Amino acid sequence: MMDQALRWRSFLRLHATPFVLSLLLIIIVLVAAIAQNSSLDRTIVDLLIRVVFVVGLYIFVGNSGVVSFGHAAFMMIGAYATAWQDCCSMVKSFFMPALPKLMLETTVPPPIATVTSGLFAALIGLLVGAAIMRLSGIGASIATFAVLVVFNVVYSNWESLTSGTSTMTGIPAFTDHWVALIAAVAAIFIAYLYKISRFGLMLRTSREDEVAAKASGVNVVLQRLIAFVLSAFFAGLAGGLYAHFLGTITVAAFYLDLTFITLAMLVIGGINSLSGAVIGVISISALIEVLRQLERGIDIGFTTIAVPGGTQEIGLGVAMVLILIFRQRGITGNQEITWPFSRFMDKPGNALATFRARRLAQLVCSQRSSPSSAVGRRRHLSRVTKQGGVP
Amino acid sequence: MIEPMLQVEDISVHYGRLAAVRGVSLTVGRGEIVCLVGPNGAGKSTTLLTIAGVLAPTQGTVTFDRSPTAGLSPEAVVRLGISMVPEGRRVFSSLTVEENLRLGTYGRSDRRAVERELARIYDEFPILAERCSMRAAKLSGGEQQQLAISRALLTGAKLLLVDEPSLGLAPIIVERVYDILRDLREKRGVTLLIVEESTERAVDVADRVYVLRRGLIELEGTSEDLADGERLHEAYFGFGAAGTSQETQQ
Amino acid sequence: MNSALQFLIDALSVGSLYALAALGVGLVFGVLRLVNFAYGDFITVGSYALIVPSASITAIVFIGNWPWPLLVIASAAIVVIVALICEYLVFRPLRQAPPAVLMIASFGVGYIIQNAIITIYTARPKAIGIWPGLTEAVAIGDLRVPGLQLVTIVVALGLLALLILFLKKSPFGVQMRAAAEDFQMARMLGVRANTVIGTAFVISAFLAAIVSLLFLCQVGVVSFHMGTQLMLIAFIATVIGGMGSLVGAVVGGYTIGIVGTLLQVLLPENVRTFRDAFVFAAVIIILLARPQGLVVTRAARERV
Repeated sequence: MMDQALRWRSFLRLHATPFVLSLLLIIIVLVAAIAQNSSLDRTIVDLLIRVVFVVGLYIFVGNSGVVSFGHAAFMMIGAYATAWQDCCSMVKSFFMPALPKLMLETTVPPPIATVTSGLFAALIGLLVGAAIMRLSGIGASIATFAVLVVFNVVYSNWESLTSGTSTMTGIPAFTDHWVALIAAVAAIFIAYLYKISRFGLMLRTSREDEVAAKASGVNVVLQRLIAFVLSAFFAGLAGGLYAHFLGTITVAAFYLDLTFITLAMLVIGGINSLSGAVIGVISISALIEVLRQLERGIDIGFTTIAVPGGTQEIGLGVAMVLILIFRQRGITGNQEITWPFSRFMDKPGNALATFRARRLAQLVCSQRSSPSSAVGRRRHLSRVTKQGGVP
Repeated sequence: MIEPMLQVEDISVHYGRLAAVRGVSLTVGRGEIVCLVGPNGAGKSTTLLTIAGVLAPTQGTVTFDRSPTAGLSPEAVVRLGISMVPEGRRVFSSLTVEENLRLGTYGRSDRRAVERELARIYDEFPILAERCSMRAAKLSGGEQQQLAISRALLTGAKLLLVDEPSLGLAPIIVERVYDILRDLREKRGVTLLIVEESTERAVDVADRVYVLRRGLIELEGTSEDLADGERLHEAYFGFGAAGTSQETQQ
Repeated sequence: MNSALQFLIDALSVGSLYALAALGVGLVFGVLRLVNFAYGDFITVGSYALIVPSASITAIVFIGNWPWPLLVIASAAIVVIVALICEYLVFRPLRQAPPAVLMIASFGVGYIIQNAIITIYTARPKAIGIWPGLTEAVAIGDLRVPGLQLVTIVVALGLLALLILFLKKSPFGVQMRAAAEDFQMARMLGVRANTVIGTAFVISAFLAAIVSLLFLCQVGVVSFHMGTQLMLIAFIATVIGGMGSLVGAVVGGYTIGIVGTLLQVLLPENVRTFRDAFVFAAVIIILLARPQGLVVTRAARERV
């Protein structure tokens, strides 16, 4: 009996992170549901979609250490793939004449369309990634920037497929806060499972020391590709959700502004941690809302205080640069949230090992460095390390 | 008691949370040759890099010619008169020999002295003169060592920090390198702090020897005192020459 | 024969612009290991320097009306000042940071500059005509070539020669080359880090201004995103040329110029707007064949 309970407790402690993060999001959604404020509602849905995107971004950037500037392109690919599937059923052939006949005649139900959009983005991610993952870390980052620009150019010009630079309207509404919440929670759990899996671990070794990882037999190119494809899926999924949320999409919405904002969210939250992705989205979304209100102007009775337009963007830019200079590890310090909150640990809840390491450090420090104690020290060292291992 | 030229007092140096050097003190007097010996990972290079200003100590002070070097950048330390001949030589392979030599001279104001010293270097090291327009990558190991030493001298250094001059060189070349180092003291009055792995060579060339192990000074003495090598071995390896653990004996 | 010459001039003039931009990117990368994502915005600033800050639809040209030597100097000076401010405020505190952090920081700086421009000048592109004489055609044999193309080629080759001279002969140049190979060792010989880095930024900013003015003369319009695509091409040029190699950057720039012009000629009419995508595809092929770049030097290693 006791044993079972203990096992459950240590399991939860070990893997609390995705549960805690999901709980956080659920609370936010519940608060919005109670408040019955429609504009707050929309902000929350937007936030949840961003969570899906930034968690996807984390899967690649956080584990590989390679910065990607191209994920907004995958979101765009997903959004337009959704439009191709279920947009404007009556007038589809008018807007997108270049689509194959089959697609013009079919309207895919939104839930399926969203998921297939993600898969389509993942496929593009596979093709692109196969080409660029062989490059060095910096070279790959530059290549992702090229991906962003090139897809922007292609989609802007391929009018018969995407309406070019004009807005595409008529996408059915499907994403409400429950759908977005489910997607966000799914993203969090899958990201977490990936992180603790062999694949995540292997990729992280290459982040720490690429040469050592290769020497240990890790196929760095393959691992990066796997993470890239998985993250492209979520970016595409976010695109599909976004299309079903706004009902209209344009190419320009998926370019530098989006890239910067989402990257800032990840960096400010903590670029190498899943919790950082979620916390980053929440805090920066809040900050943007505050700045947006300030730009609109706050009425304090006799006058309105307002900051000039553009403060939002510049403020966000400054915030990101400041974080990089003063607290590079972001809000979460690159660590994962666990339960209870007071214990932020390096690895998800490795409580016992942390305890042992602390004991060991105490022992080593408390002894004077004299030869006579060295033996006793060494004996104890070997005993402790054999048992539990230091994290 | 002569005032030491270089005084290192109780420095600790950390890489992140790892302490590479924990409370090291040493002195080098003007015109002395002092050797720092110890096994791999003892913290010898770390100590030199800290004196050179590349690393910052987490505690302790370094004083050179009565000026403290705390917080000085490597460039500023060079201007004080300390120059480093690093482990592995690190000559600039894409630059010519002459460019390598001149690199350290751009900060000096007395151009005539610089040209004079350069001429003297070419005189004493004819190989460098011969290959002066050749890219440094094409020099042999011993020639690169000559280049690295000359290059450091041309900064106008009064104290040279030499990190493992024998690394990767054939024994006969190492002899030549040590002859050069000895000459530096005899003919130019340059003070030397040399990191060396071999205790025999250390005792041979140095006036005094420090033994560093696991970030701490285990032993200090003049090379006469330590000539027989037994105390050196004990301090170096942590157990006596007879091969039994010093600690389990107690 | 004529069309071949026409093609050559087209390719070389485009390639020259790219090569100059690539040099600007490559210099800073070599010394600081920084891929400067704000470089596009440095280029943009070079052209906005010519007009007075205002939200009006038409550009109020101020410096843009000065005689060309003064114009060039003033534009370059403004870009240099902006670059040095960025260096001092952002890149200096991050000098020890890993390349990924530097990259993101420069992306942030670029974002700030871009939005500052939008705030001050509005997001509307504005027409500016500088040096109208250059758009007239010059006769070469049977050909009529826009003077701007010839000027671009001459300017690029001239600046390249000056840069080579500077790097090989001057003390600053030698120090920069040493710092690009082994920064720490250079410092241990007394090379001042701030001086070397500052010099790199100054030259890089100057090149950005030149590129900006030549580009502005060509398109006649200034907009807040005019530097982005040039910067991207500069990045790609350094990657295919071999990162860390200045020769590679130049080679990469001219390569893209040649490939782009070739595609412009060869591609059928209806897909010509996608020329950039095809250039990118060609670049991918080059990189798949040779991921380390076309020109590989010893100094082109990434810090392991």
